Amino acid sequence: MKKFIISVLGEDRPGIIAAVTRVLFDQGCNIEDVSQTILQTQFSSIFIVTGPGQIEPRGLCDTLAAATHDLRMHFHVRELDPMAPRWTTCACESFVITTRGPDRKGLVARITAVLAAHNVNVTQLRAVFRGGDEPDRNVMIYEVDIPVDVDQQALKTELGARGRELDLEVNIQHKNIFEAVNRI
Amino acid sequence: MLTHREILSVLDMLHNEHLDVRTVTLGISLLDCTSDDLGRFTTRIYDRITQKAERLVAVCDEVGEKYGIPIVNKRVSVSPVAVAAAPFSSEQMVTVAQSLDRAAGTVNVDFIGGFSALVEKGIAAGDRALIDALPHALSGTERLCASINVASTRAGINMDAILLLGRRIKEAAGLSAAQDGVACAKLCVFANIPQDVPFMAGAYLGVGEADTVINVGVSGPGVVKKAIDRAVAEAPGMDLRQLSDLIKRTAYKVTRVGELIGREVAERLGVGFGVVDLSLAPTPNVGDSVGEIFQSLGLLSIGVPGSTAALALLNDAVKKGGAFASSNVGGLSGAFIPVSEDLNISEAVRNGHLSLEKLEAMTSVCSVGLDMVAIAGDTSAETLSAIIADEMAIGVINRKTTAARIIPVPGKKAGDYAYFGGLLGQSIIVAVNNAQGDNLFVRRGGLIPSPIHSLTN
Repeated sequence: MKKFIISVLGEDRPGIIAAVTRVLFDQGCNIEDVSQTILQTQFSSIFIVTGPGQIEPRGLCDTLAAATHDLRMHFHVRELDPMAPRWTTCACESFVITTRGPDRKGLVARITAVLAAHNVNVTQLRAVFRGGDEPDRNVMIYEVDIPVDVDQQALKTELGARGRELDLEVNIQHKNIFEAVNRI
Repeated sequence: MLTHREILSVLDMLHNEHLDVRTVTLGISLLDCTSDDLGRFTTRIYDRITQKAERLVAVCDEVGEKYGIPIVNKRVSVSPVAVAAAPFSSEQMVTVAQSLDRAAGTVNVDFIGGFSALVEKGIAAGDRALIDALPHALSGTERLCASINVASTRAGINMDAILLLGRRIKEAAGLSAAQDGVACAKLCVFANIPQDVPFMAGAYLGVGEADTVINVGVSGPGVVKKAIDRAVAEAPGMDLRQLSDLIKRTAYKVTRVGELIGREVAERLGVGFGVVDLSLAPTPNVGDSVGEIFQSLGLLSIGVPGSTAALALLNDAVKKGGAFASSNVGGLSGAFIPVSEDLNISEAVRNGHLSLEKLEAMTSVCSVGLDMVAIAGDTSAETLSAIIADEMAIGVINRKTTAARIIPVPGKKAGDYAYFGGLLGQSIIVAVNNAQGDNLFVRRGGLIPSPIHSLTN
């Protein structure tokens, strides 16, 4: 058995998931994990599947494209190495970083540059509020995994300084507080 | 995955609605420090407190930082000193008080509670010494808080103790006259005192508690007010059942914060976790007021007709939300209406909407009681005792906690302002009506018997 990751991207419409999963079924693949979202008018999903050893990524990609020709979707298929090392060997804790302030080009790049420099992994990134009547109060939410060996104080100090450069209010809080408050 | 609404609502609670952890209070037992040698006893209690609470402030700051939630006050409560220091005279009790104050300073907590006695049925030698020491102990220390339980539903009301306290409160006010009698702001007289209150001035470590325990006090009147304002803006026709449900859900969220923080602080300190006390405890800041909630509910001001019903709704909804959020809810858990600590309530007194009598009526349905009420300095000790007795009767008959923290402000009269500073705030002095003449009833002393538990009506 082999493990593959498949990404699917294209204009959203009914029938995309039905068409893609039909091909996977016909190829003898089993879906292990799937994530799907719609951003404005665009459909995007990622599947992790296991399939018979004779399947090759290129062939699977071509089969998917051919079977969904009318839907004009874009596919990318790659074989996964189950032995590949994880990005960190440390245990991680989940934090939520929020920034609030005027929207501008390069905002995400400059914040995530600080995160990358500290080996902090972004697991979710969302622009949740584009300001509306208050364009200076754009909110970005970064859900991140911070390895326990990261110097959190240094990370916070640097994030705070970067926030001040960008005129942003930056908060970093352990994820548990949001779960404790909102969930039973 | 968290939704953005969940994340933004927590951020709003923290940044726009004054949600914080009002206090993390470390209870420390002093019962095994006992000695009849004053020097040995004070050394033991100083060492015990400074060792047990050494890391309290640092750990609270770390945990607060981790969750992005300020822990505003870090406090220590100890076993009732009247028990732990029973062999000592009142002069020696003052020395004990100073040792406690010094220990609190060393570990940098803002208050230490437990200069306390439980005298609901009778006054033992240690209790008497402690009560007599109160004026000098409270006026000569910065961080010490005292509480005296003078009544309980099981025992009745100890009028001898109340009469004695009336005199001691007057003396304490006199000794701290330069600060408008602030010593009295650090003394609560209780009926049915809980053993696990984290809030001051009533915090002490009950004799039924473990050696050390972490109790947490969460506040959040601003969160409740904003939740009501938002809901009413969207649906102006909301009825009171719907508003009660809204307050309940909001109280749930606030309590969960306290539980999370408290458990983590306790774990890091290697101490058992006691209770979360969800009490809507205001501060003098705008937007952090219990009084403002009354206006959000539709009343002109706290104190106008309807206020007692509104407070009953508020208090009950807070308790229900808190009880659902944590299996360790304790302390007072409800709404506080401290006059000087709440700008809006203080204003209601100034505008004539809230009188001492209405305040007393409202305490029959809320947490605590006549809290931080400044009255004229020339109020007699007997009148003071009589006001306390009335408040205790409400607690005893209704099987609830009530307390009186009353400050007879030396040299000032009703309508003047008293300034206590910091969290204790400032207040207009409340008029005490119909206090003329002799009060033989209070002077008779003795015990008002415990109430009958049947024939309730």
